[in-house]
Amino acid sequence: MIQRVGLGLAMVVLMLVSSTVTFVYLGTKTSHIADLPQKPTAATPRAQALSLSGTIYIAQSGAIYSLTAGRFRQITPEAGWTQPSLYPDQSRLLAVRRFALYSDIYIMSRFGVVQKRLTSNVAPPRTYDPGANHWAFYPRLGTDGRVYLSYDQPKGGYAVVFSIWSMSPTSNIKQGKLWSNADDYTGGDVQPIPLRQGLIYTKYSYGSNDRLTGQLYYLPSPYVRGRPATGWGTALTTEDEDCRSPQVSPSGKQVAMICTYQKQVSYLVIASWNGKKLGARQRIITNQMVAQPTWAPDGSGIAYLAPGTGNGPFQLWFLPSAGYAPQPSPTPNYGPIVTPSPLLAVKPVQITTNNGFDATSPLAWAD
Amino acid sequence: MAGGLAYFLPAAELAFESTGQVITSPSPSQLLLSPSATQTSATAAPVAGAFTVLLLGSDDDSKFKADHVLTQSMILVRVVPSTKQVTMLSIPRDLYVHLSTGGYGKIMDAYSYGGPGASISTVAQNFGVKINDYIWIGLLGLVKLIDAIGGIDVVTSHPVLDDYYPADIYGGWPYDYERVAVLAGPQHMTGIQAMQYVRSRHGDLQSDLGRSQRQQQVLIAIRQKAKQMSPEDLPTISAALGKEMKTSISLTEVAGMLPLAASLDNPDSIRQLVLLPPYTHGGGPGGSITPDWGRILPLVHQYFP
Repeated sequence: MIQRVGLGLAMVVLMLVSSTVTFVYLGTKTSHIADLPQKPTAATPRAQALSLSGTIYIAQSGAIYSLTAGRFRQITPEAGWTQPSLYPDQSRLLAVRRFALYSDIYIMSRFGVVQKRLTSNVAPPRTYDPGANHWAFYPRLGTDGRVYLSYDQPKGGYAVVFSIWSMSPTSNIKQGKLWSNADDYTGGDVQPIPLRQGLIYTKYSYGSNDRLTGQLYYLPSPYVRGRPATGWGTALTTEDEDCRSPQVSPSGKQVAMICTYQKQVSYLVIASWNGKKLGARQRIITNQMVAQPTWAPDGSGIAYLAPGTGNGPFQLWFLPSAGYAPQPSPTPNYGPIVTPSPLLAVKPVQITTNNGFDATSPLAWAD
Repeated sequence: MAGGLAYFLPAAELAFESTGQVITSPSPSQLLLSPSATQTSATAAPVAGAFTVLLLGSDDDSKFKADHVLTQSMILVRVVPSTKQVTMLSIPRDLYVHLSTGGYGKIMDAYSYGGPGASISTVAQNFGVKINDYIWIGLLGLVKLIDAIGGIDVVTSHPVLDDYYPADIYGGWPYDYERVAVLAGPQHMTGIQAMQYVRSRHGDLQSDLGRSQRQQQVLIAIRQKAKQMSPEDLPTISAALGKEMKTSISLTEVAGMLPLAASLDNPDSIRQLVLLPPYTHGGGPGGSITPDWGRILPLVHQYFP
């Protein structure tokens, strides 16, 4: 009798142990697809990763981080901070702070100390119309000392679109200058890149197939009220290419951009730039979902954001310049002719592994 | 076995609660008494023949009585395993059709009158297609599903700005508004961000038709992410979805579809159709959209034979 009770108890214990082990074992077999990204400061980049020159400013989860000599440093709290950009003399940063209903542009030191708020986009007190708030994104300081940005004015009713504006850092947006005339119900004009003369930006509009597509445009001067929007500025890319996120190289002779060719893909494309037109396209990265290409200030390569492996949060990548060395061409060719993808003898390097960088936030890279 | 059953219990519960409303599905005992879900997935027969699924999405906030919601999103999906071709057809919610429950109205009304069965019958009768299965998901369900799979990567086609976006899914006054700004380009989206992207329509010239294109983008992104899932992820996802999803597809059928989903790699093999003009035109009764069946039916019969 005692033997049978003992055997029974042993069987119960065995069942409990084996079922618990099975339960725990199955738990370890999950794919970890929903794991939260680590904070960049939680771990240094991979040991085998390149230590990039200079300092990269990058955003994750509402905080801005700097990456210098392979080490991240958090320079703002997680409080809606995004889209850092450097002054041309690299002395300070412009950045966006995003709230639930509006966003503002700030000047801050390179250590993240806020020095000035440039816009005031919150609705006046006791205003119940959410449309009384405003959005401002993609700030850039031009060599003329003015801040260029995307701002959701003019707007009316449901037609809320971004337009390109410039403003003095010592003034306010009400004294700003409207540069572009965005098409209604398109999302509008974003990502201004001020040049010595004029600017490049991304314009969203309805293409001939009734699809909304992005095109890079060049504007030589601000918009003149009353002029028709059509024909204002020069299209640098075609509707079919569907391009965005322009970045001019430190030499000023190349432009990097992201093009989708109207599919759920994003290719990193570079083209030569003569100040008025883009040259033949070179597709550099075609096997990843690429965002925010950023030229190294010393010309050593291009950093960008892309998922690590498979489909997941965006990591920092770097492609050395040898991976996109210019192809010799007998005659310069300006137009959307795509050269074959070069055989990348030098492959892109994944710099981080477990982060989740904000792919809608451009990177800023100081030398 | 006990540990395996306990582990997969949430998935089995969801299967029990959400399936079998239109098309007969395995009983809960069949699901629970199978050796384990992992073994089920291992032995599930792969899907061989072509099949058509009707995807339904609803505002299921407090503006509506439970199960009497409108289907704001209706997408017919046909999968042909032999050619690995997928076709998605977005049906405008305001399309003016004969309802299977009687009379005429907007196609989104069918669900509120007769649940998923009425939606399936209405689509099947008007479009002349055979629908094998359906999946219904509420707004919060979409958010939870995307969060449960760790978010999705989407190339948003343009900035989506909406000053009067409904602030209705987390309680409070269901007619409140909030502002949303979804920036353009490649990005990793949480459930809330993805919902804002697919639901906003005020800033789109094509309104509901415009957001139909965005909904298809998000569906493709979810499918892409699902390729990384293992059967052991199902309990977490089931627990997250709760009662925010209903389907006629059984767990064993889902397991049979996983290898197929993983094999659909070529973005060119996914055909996306939206019934823009000239297939439809506005000005119908009560703000509805009038179908041009002379154009629609040949298109539908070509891709949904």
